[in-house]
Formats: sequence, C-alpha cells, structure tokens
Amino acid sequence: MPLCRPFSTAVFSIGLAVAFYSVSAVAEPSQLTKDELSKVVKTDSVTVPTPGEIFAALGKEVKPNWQSAYRPPIPTTFTSRPQLALNLGGLIADGYIAVEAEDSQQVKNIGKDIINLAKALGVSKSILARGSSITDFADKSEWNTLKEELEETQNEVKQAMSDEHDQELITLVTLGGWVRGTGVVSSLIVDNYTPGSAKLIRQPALVSFMRAKLKELPEKTRTGDPLVKSLDEKLGDIEKLVVFPKDTVPTLDDVKKLRDTANSIENEISNKQ
Amino acid sequence: MIRFSRLAMIATLALALAPVLPHNASAATDDEVAAHKIALDLAGAFSNDGFKLRDGNWAGPIRPKESIYIQVNLYAGNQYWFCTGATERAKKLLVTVYDETGQLVQSEAYQDGTKAAAGYSPTASGAYIIRIQETEGDPATVCLTYSYK
Repeated sequence: MPLCRPFSTAVFSIGLAVAFYSVSAVAEPSQLTKDELSKVVKTDSVTVPTPGEIFAALGKEVKPNWQSAYRPPIPTTFTSRPQLALNLGGLIADGYIAVEAEDSQQVKNIGKDIINLAKALGVSKSILARGSSITDFADKSEWNTLKEELEETQNEVKQAMSDEHDQELITLVTLGGWVRGTGVVSSLIVDNYTPGSAKLIRQPALVSFMRAKLKELPEKTRTGDPLVKSLDEKLGDIEKLVVFPKDTVPTLDDVKKLRDTANSIENEISNKQ
Repeated sequence: MIRFSRLAMIATLALALAPVLPHNASAATDDEVAAHKIALDLAGAFSNDGFKLRDGNWAGPIRPKESIYIQVNLYAGNQYWFCTGATERAKKLLVTVYDETGQLVQSEAYQDGTKAAAGYSPTASGAYIIRIQETEGDPATVCLTYSYK
C-alpha cells in the first residue's frame, strides 16, 4: 500500500535515512493469542484519549458550532475533593472547546477557573505557571500549542495528586473530562447528524476502563460519596449506548440518548451538593 | 518561519518537560526519562506535518524477543503516529497495530535502531492495541507516546 499523502510528507520531514515500510511486509502474527491479549496494558496516560482527539475527528465530519457547546461558569468552591477533581477534568475539556472555537477570552476565563479548582485541591503550586502560559498562548492565538498545554496542565495536576498520594483523584479528573467531552460531542452530533459523525460515539473499551478504574477507588469514596456512587451507576447507562459493532450506525435518537445521559451526569457533577 | 518558531517552541517545551512527566503519574526512573526523550525526539518530527503530540506516555522495561501490548482508543478520521524510543541497550524496535479483537491492521512502519513508529488511520472508532517488540538487543527501557491530527 502506498503511503498516504500526509504520512509521506511526515516521512520526508523526518529527514533521516531510515526505512519506512508497510507492516504487511513484515513477518508479524496476523492474530494475537488469548495469552497476548490478556497482557494488554491499559493506562490513564495513553489509553484515555484527550478531548482534543475526538474534537479533531468530529471537525472532519461536520462543521461544529463550538461556541454552542459553552456552558455557564461552574462553581469553583466545592467542599468535596472527589467533586473538585471531577470538575477540574470537566474544565480542562471546556478549555479544549474554547480552543476549538478559537476564543482567547474564553480560554483565559477557563484557565483562571482551572487554577481556582487546583488551589482548592491543594495542587495549584505546580500549575500556577501553566495559568500564565495558557494566557500567553491564548493572547497569541497559538491554538495547537494550547491543546498541548491543556493536556500538560492536566498531567501536571495528576502528578501533583500522585505526589500527595491522592491517586483516586486522578481517576476522577480523567472521568470528569471524559463525561464533559462526551456530552459536548454528542450534542454537536445531534445538531449536525451524519452517519460518519454518529459512529464516533463508539467507545466500548473506554467506558469499561473507566468503570474498572472506579472499582479500584477506596470503598469509602466509591460507596460513601453519593456523587461517585451515582456516577458508577450512570456509566452503566452510557456503556449501553457506546458499545455496538463497528459497522453499526447509531441513529439520531441513539445519539440524543447519549447526549441526555452525559449531560445529566455533567449537571450532577457541576451542581453543588 | 512563524510555523517553525512555534514548532521549535513546542519541541523545546516537550523536551524540557520530559523529566517531570512520567507514565501513570508515578515517579519515572532515569531510564524511563531517557527513553521518553528518545520517543519525543521522533514524535517531534511529525509535528512538522501538523500532528499534535500527546503529553501522556507509557514507559517500562522491555526484553529482547518479548512484546509489550498497550491499549489506545482511536477515532475514525484521525491519523496517528505511535512513536517509541528505547535506551541504548536495545538495538532494534518494531511497532505494530492490532484492532480490538487482536487482528493485525495494516500500518506504516518506521524503524531506526532504538526508535520506531507506526502510522495508522483507523476507519472505525474504538480500541486498538499497540505492540512494541524489541527484535534485537539486551533488556532495556522503552517509552511509547503518540501524536494525532
């Protein structure tokens, strides 16, 4: 198979005398064994895509009105740490939306809210500089850089949580971002329905990964925190909507159900308990 | 020129951040940091073509003739490059892509000693498995990162 044009360009840009070839030419097993499949590593840092990835795919299918995906500012004064973490993830997803809308003021507003939530979580020290750079990049309309900056901000927050032995919060930041991203994408697909865009909601392994991570949370958080307990149950509803065969095209009604479920979870996350 | 300045800034930022961005938000070893730098060096080249680099990465030990399998979730319509780098005790790496059932999919491969990559454009959204093999060398540390557009 010849290299497709974008890949070919990338190949030449590397500028190294190296071998590019199609993997079909290499003696590779065509099917992994059950034993090999059982060894597959799933990790928050690579297995979970950023909101920017699904937004990029959506932008190739339709012309979304990203500003229609904005939501009113959310509170930043939650007292529950799990809820703070969930909202921090959601705000980072909001940052990606503002970047897609190329709205520098909105990016800066969200950057401030991210810092406020990080302060409330006690992890702001490491990301204060990020707030400044998000503002700088927004002022310069460095949209691609901002997408990377947002993920770096999220990872730095997670690193700080890890340093503080708050591993459970890492899962919740990821989950909060994924729920917000799913709600936005499904809303935009409903507004611009095409079969190709609808197929983007297929994310079977992702939901099972999230549910498995929730099950790893300490019992106190998993069953003692009403919001986390409710999320676990509602993720089951979402799972039913995003697990379907590769060649199935979800109907508009299917996507609406996903939008409504994701938005209901998102409202629960952002409402003060 | 502006584009190159921005890319240079991104690459510099990525390399500068390498030591503080370990996999799974746990402390990275020196070897993991070194492998990450090598993977970023390769991934940075694809930025010239508009690929956005993921900040997340996975790093860990690898042995010759053994494979590491990592699940990623991809979206139809996007193009991806999965870039790996290994510490110098590894001599040769190979990266391949499998679908969620474990079936090999056709991808473009890049190989240059301790750096290797696979380029793939999924036609269906969902889970895929990245297989990293050390085909030659001694036990080493390897890092995977990826970029998309």
